[in-house]
Amino acid sequence: MLARPGLPSFDYIRASTAQEVVRLLKEHGEGARLMMGGTDLLVRMRQGDVRPKIVVDVKHLPGMSEILYEEGAGLTIGAAATMNQVAKHPAVRAHYPLLAEAANSVASYQVRNRATVGGNLCNASPCADTTPAILALEGRLVLYGPNGERELPAKEFFLGPGQTALQPGEFLTAMRFPQLPSGSAGKYLKLGRSKAGDLSLVGVAIFGFPDETTSSGYRFRIVLGSVAPVVLRALEAEQVLASQPPGDETFALAAQRAMEAATPIDDVRGSAVYQKAMVRTLTLRGLRDVWEQLAGRKE
Amino acid sequence: MGKVLGQPVVRNDALDKVTGRLKYPGDLNMPGQLYAKMLWSKRPHARFQMDTSEAEAVSGVMAVLTAKDVPRNEFGLIFPDQPVFNFDVVRSVGDPIAMVVAETEKIAALARDLIRVDYEDLPVVTDPREAMKPGAPVIHEKKPSNILKSYRIRKGDVQKGFAEADAIVEDDYFMPLTEHAFLQPEAGIGYIDDEGRVTVHSAGQWAHDDRRQIAHALDLPEDQVRVIYTPAGGAFGGREDLSVQLVLALAAWKLKRPLKIVWSREESIRGHHKRHAFYIHHKVGATKDGKITAMEVEIVADCGAYASSSTPVLANAVLLSTGPYRVPNVNVDGCVVYTNNLRTGAMRGFGAPQAVFAVELQLSKLAEKLGIDPATLRLKNVLVEGSKLATNTVVPAGVGIRQTLLEVTETSGWSDQGPQRPPAHAPHARTGVGLACGWKNVGYSFGFPEQASCTAELYGEQHIERAVIKIGAAEVGQGLNTILAQIAAETLHIPYEAVEIAELDTSVVPDAGSSSASRHAFMSGNAVKGACERALEAWQRGERPAMMTYQYLPPKTTPFDPQTGECYPNFSYGYASQIAEVEVDLETGDVALTRVFAAHDAGKTINPQTLEGQVDGGVVMAQGWALIEDFIQQDGYIKTRRLSEYLIPTSMDAPRDIVSCLVEVADPLGPYGARGVGEMTMMLLAPAILDAIHDATGIWFNRIPVKAEDVLLALKRTGSQR
Repeated sequence: MLARPGLPSFDYIRASTAQEVVRLLKEHGEGARLMMGGTDLLVRMRQGDVRPKIVVDVKHLPGMSEILYEEGAGLTIGAAATMNQVAKHPAVRAHYPLLAEAANSVASYQVRNRATVGGNLCNASPCADTTPAILALEGRLVLYGPNGERELPAKEFFLGPGQTALQPGEFLTAMRFPQLPSGSAGKYLKLGRSKAGDLSLVGVAIFGFPDETTSSGYRFRIVLGSVAPVVLRALEAEQVLASQPPGDETFALAAQRAMEAATPIDDVRGSAVYQKAMVRTLTLRGLRDVWEQLAGRKE
Repeated sequence: MGKVLGQPVVRNDALDKVTGRLKYPGDLNMPGQLYAKMLWSKRPHARFQMDTSEAEAVSGVMAVLTAKDVPRNEFGLIFPDQPVFNFDVVRSVGDPIAMVVAETEKIAALARDLIRVDYEDLPVVTDPREAMKPGAPVIHEKKPSNILKSYRIRKGDVQKGFAEADAIVEDDYFMPLTEHAFLQPEAGIGYIDDEGRVTVHSAGQWAHDDRRQIAHALDLPEDQVRVIYTPAGGAFGGREDLSVQLVLALAAWKLKRPLKIVWSREESIRGHHKRHAFYIHHKVGATKDGKITAMEVEIVADCGAYASSSTPVLANAVLLSTGPYRVPNVNVDGCVVYTNNLRTGAMRGFGAPQAVFAVELQLSKLAEKLGIDPATLRLKNVLVEGSKLATNTVVPAGVGIRQTLLEVTETSGWSDQGPQRPPAHAPHARTGVGLACGWKNVGYSFGFPEQASCTAELYGEQHIERAVIKIGAAEVGQGLNTILAQIAAETLHIPYEAVEIAELDTSVVPDAGSSSASRHAFMSGNAVKGACERALEAWQRGERPAMMTYQYLPPKTTPFDPQTGECYPNFSYGYASQIAEVEVDLETGDVALTRVFAAHDAGKTINPQTLEGQVDGGVVMAQGWALIEDFIQQDGYIKTRRLSEYLIPTSMDAPRDIVSCLVEVADPLGPYGARGVGEMTMMLLAPAILDAIHDATGIWFNRIPVKAEDVLLALKRTGSQR
């Protein structure tokens, strides 16, 4: 009865087992879409970008929304855990603050109540705010498919904008993070046109920790969002930081290298030139911030 | 302050809104209703041919309505230059060319996509400065030029004025087109009522004028058309033009069946008019002690494809472009020009924000050049009681600009030594403080017929138990029904809760004009007060129920003299002064609006809570205009089609602190001394923000929005980047 400029019709199925999901994916192929928070899928369906015949809600599968932390073993986050759940979880905040910071930076509070970290990853958007942190923390993804479960390093998951390594019939069930090196520190910085609701124009995640195997005594990971077809590790910048003594000069050079790694394009949200310049600014700021944390921890 | 007047009573629509009981336009339904979907032009300027046969053949399609179905295929708020459905030529991508009515929304959409349209492109012109040149592509074949209207003011001798000046500031300003982005896109239902009238139930800003325009297009007598309004979640001028009302009426009248339409956000952005983009060249001169001697202003505004309210918007901008100041010598020339952009019309401020933007930045630059404190410079020149305007007539009594300026500077700690700058939060940030003043008419201007009528009905035996106020004034979220109930309660000496505002139905309530021009507190307030006074007299004479209708007529205004601009433009003005505090990130260019002080002379306050709500909303809207909102059209095509592309400020962007200072200079004609405030709140913060950015960085920006990228680039250019 209600007229809504809205969704085309589709069948909604609330899946209760992983096997059921695999069966539906195999049966319907492209005609099936998995849904967790729906903050992206439903908008794209309304816009007519995707037209699934069935929408399979997988957030009620056992363990899908669970966050488990075990000293030594690390952290496991169910794919359907919401951004607010992750951002507020005591263990995440205590042991993986970079992840909490990234989750808390997504859109608005209301959206974070629905949006999930797993969904954020599976969209494979270069602008996804949690992806840089997950790559910086060297997370691994748990995928479930016709041949059972397999694990994949997160960096191997993203093939291009909207393109993932998911095989037909396969879906993401969880993210796993190793126990982090002691004395580590992280920072996520982003810029958008407004403070909430805009996609990031630039996102930079920095993660650093003492490492005796490098000549600088530290290892940093720098991951850039929104400035390339996929979220990007700035490996040359990382190399600078591994080989030269920490300090402003090194940080400036690393920031320069990070900027050089970025390949953004002009669009309505901002020019490529500005985005590149901001990669340098945010990387430098992030490095200074992380270094302050590291130095403070040492004392 | 009375028992009810001046009190922050609970809004009389609050409970219905928070419980979801209130039906907004999209919530309205009728049994057996059909659904409609519109087809929009895909080209900014083209001849076209259309084949609807395939769409008509779809099972479940009741009709495909096009230009040939409309008896008089024209409408418009001021004059009808826009077709209901375009016939053979489209002039913008906001032009509707057909509407499918079907059994379900899905069928309507499917059939709409089966309509075949062949376009033959015509030359496109999108810059009004190009469109006004001879030889530019003609947008309306029957009009010799794309210049829709020009106005001018001539007062004194500007050459002499500039010769007397010790300092002259001259600059060019640009403000882009702006989207209203109100809550909930356009929606409504249409049907034939029990008495056979074509009825539209929707939301808008002037039901009686909707009725007039619908009757005109359908070639029906007005009493055969009925318009009912439900409250809207916001309008800001964007619901002033007809949107869904006319096509709903047309389809209901043709098919004799109820139907519903809901526009998507994309359709809303495409289908309703926008705030005008303005180009302003402004020159001001003053003596070294800060006395303004002359102003010369040239204005070119982008009308888009159709007139909408362009003519009065231009007239307002021409009048207000000299600011709330005494200027002995004035030349103003303004014109508004057709282009192939989306049409432009009413939006909160109606030409005032653009005029105020230019003149206030000019005053700030003048102060810098003269080495005079910007507040002091303004104080030396502001209008006072008895001042003559550029139109050579005296400003109406109740001039509060000086008081707002004194109040806002004192509250914010701005002394003779200048403003107090807050400390920056980071080493790479710098703070700045900026000031602007503004003025805006209350009520219609330049001789446009102005009136508001109200019927008051008093029920009870010994005492008045219930008062019903019937008035054709649209509640669009601003809290109008609350303040009208307060005025009624005060006048009748009854509790606020005993006043009921009748549903806005043109078959029941009298016309009170549009929800625009910040006019309802003044105009409808006077109508309610007058009707209640007369009904109370009848009650005291023993009439049960006591019913009286009253029409309030304000002093007459007159149009510009075509040569000199001489006229009595307005019967009342609202005045304001605002101060913006910003923090500029020197490494990213990001500008954060940290605090705002807003002093408003809205006359006597009827409800401090709704008034402060207006201030808060206006401030954030102006923040968006100055810093964030960037509507992009490229060669006539919309690049910012939805709210993820066209951004508006969120609550996270709003300043942490908006300090409202209510200055209550009574309007001698306003009801209980009230005047109006709706538009004044948004018209002056943009220049204050840009003044503050200059204070922080030494850089003047002359166009908005000022985006982080622009700031960083300018910082690099001037070398003030750290």
